[in-house]
Amino acid sequence: MSLTGVTRTVRLPDDQELHILRGVDLAVHAGDHTAVIGRSGCGKSTLLNLLGLLDLPTSGELRFQGTPVGQLRGNERAVLRGSSVGFVFQQFNLLPGRSALENVITPLLYARGAQFWRRRELAMDMLDRVGLAQRADTLPNMLSGGEQQRVAIARALVRGPRLILADEPTGALDVDTGQAVMALLDTVATESGAALITITHDVNVAALARACYRLEAGVLTTAAIPAGVPA
Amino acid sequence: MTGVVSALVEAWQELRINKTRILLALVGVALSVAALTSVVGVGDLAREGFKADSERNGGRSATLAIGVYGPSQPDPQKLEGAYRGIIERYGITYFSHAAQAQLSFQFPRGVQPVQLQVVDPGYGVIHRLDLSQGGWFAANDEERLAPALVVSESFYNAAGRPNLATSPKIAMAGDQKTTAVIIGVVPDPYPESPPSAYMLTGAAERSGVTAGGAAGPGQQFKIWVQDEQAAALKAAITSDLEQQFPGMQAAVDRSDYASYGDPFAPVQLAVGGVAGLVLLLGAVGMLNISMVTVRYRVREIGIRRSFGATSRRIFVGVMMESVVATAVAGVVGVMIAVAVVKNPWIESKVGRGLTEYPPFPVDAALLGLGAAVLVGALAGAIPAVVAVRVKVIDAIRF
Repeated sequence: MSLTGVTRTVRLPDDQELHILRGVDLAVHAGDHTAVIGRSGCGKSTLLNLLGLLDLPTSGELRFQGTPVGQLRGNERAVLRGSSVGFVFQQFNLLPGRSALENVITPLLYARGAQFWRRRELAMDMLDRVGLAQRADTLPNMLSGGEQQRVAIARALVRGPRLILADEPTGALDVDTGQAVMALLDTVATESGAALITITHDVNVAALARACYRLEAGVLTTAAIPAGVPA
Repeated sequence: MTGVVSALVEAWQELRINKTRILLALVGVALSVAALTSVVGVGDLAREGFKADSERNGGRSATLAIGVYGPSQPDPQKLEGAYRGIIERYGITYFSHAAQAQLSFQFPRGVQPVQLQVVDPGYGVIHRLDLSQGGWFAANDEERLAPALVVSESFYNAAGRPNLATSPKIAMAGDQKTTAVIIGVVPDPYPESPPSAYMLTGAAERSGVTAGGAAGPGQQFKIWVQDEQAAALKAAITSDLEQQFPGMQAAVDRSDYASYGDPFAPVQLAVGGVAGLVLLLGAVGMLNISMVTVRYRVREIGIRRSFGATSRRIFVGVMMESVVATAVAGVVGVMIAVAVVKNPWIESKVGRGLTEYPPFPVDAALLGLGAAVLVGALAGAIPAVVAVRVKVIDAIRF
């Protein structure tokens, strides 16, 4: 994925323009693990929207696997997002009332062909990879925070995405569990050859990345990988 | 193929997970549809009852009642000839004389006066008379030595409900001491109505019940014609008769219920209005539940969008959930309505005058189902649009 001179501006009710992102350049390749750190309100969510093909830049170019995303229609972007981008959220966002296995199956409902028809088998394999095969039939509210995030990771990876976007993935976990979850996410992403972009304000999470950027007032700059704080 | 199956799998998951909420929504819609369908079904039954009653009194649409009036009585034989001429000239299949007379019969509990209708075999068809027992007059019943009678239920009860297979006889009180044979029984026109009976014109003349034949006082001649021919035939027959009876006035008038337009139109309008109101209430209730549901599902919709669900898929999903739910509720509602409308007590109260109750009206069932699906589509469309407009990341952080 590459962003070249990407800006994102919104018009406020008083007709003034708010520049959320200013001239963002970023290139992420298969197997990369990149962290983007920044304070609240610096434009992290907007950047996440763009990276997840959920929004389009006001100006600049966004390319995904060589395709200019701006030329794709909404539904084409949705199909590309489903097949190539996996999301891991801070609050896990598992669907309530559905078992761990059903949650992991959910993205496969939007797949075609073998991925759809073999959805149960693929989901079980993925749960096995995150070490939760024995809890496949358990409802989310019966799982610990760490287990819920592992289910969320399995769900994000089950369609074999080329890009994994992790939005504050350890924000709702204690330090030890957060470290374990991040290690798992890094391992599974590396094994599958997907690029991993972690958006965080946690230096311990950013410390696991192989490249680090700082987002400040809409401007993205290269930053040194922080040294993790010992638990 | 994959898209359809996956949409169904998703819908089934939704149904399973949200069964309580969906069930609550279904109850409201099912009751609305039941009310709507019942109103239409009961209206239909009432209409059939009213129609049967009207046809029994005034004849089917279009029945023309013909008479010739003047300063003096027209010559009976000439008038009869004129009626025969009308039948032949215009190819009339069903016709009947109609006169009323009072006659006393010797019942087991004594002599009792009976209202007698003197008619021809065609009268039964023209007035759509349904018999509860026995049969209506056949053409050769005129030749019976003992006049045939079709009697009302109250007459039949007063006569002791004899077995019609034994050709039960009943004496006509009077100078001639004639005996009549009961061949059929018609339901009473209204509860506890006095005994009445039908007798053929020829038999009544021979028995001295009526005098004067076709031109007798109060005599009418009725013919049943096609609706669209009624106006033209009325003019033609009036002209024919006035030419044949100079100085006299021919009266050819429709006597059926539909002669002044559709009398059911106001009833239908009222029923339609009530049904529309019920439907509107159902739609508002369903819309309310759907809107709350979508608000409740904003985060879930956002998550699904992040997995690659297209806006069309989200729209169809929310819409289908509503339509499928209301369609199921519609089936349940129609079943409740059938149980209500076909309830014997309701049928007897609403369908007065009917000997056989009509089957549950298919149009009412289709209207109920159609209304349910329409309500589902309308109540699903707005939440579906709201669902499509959900901003994914905002929804996830909702």
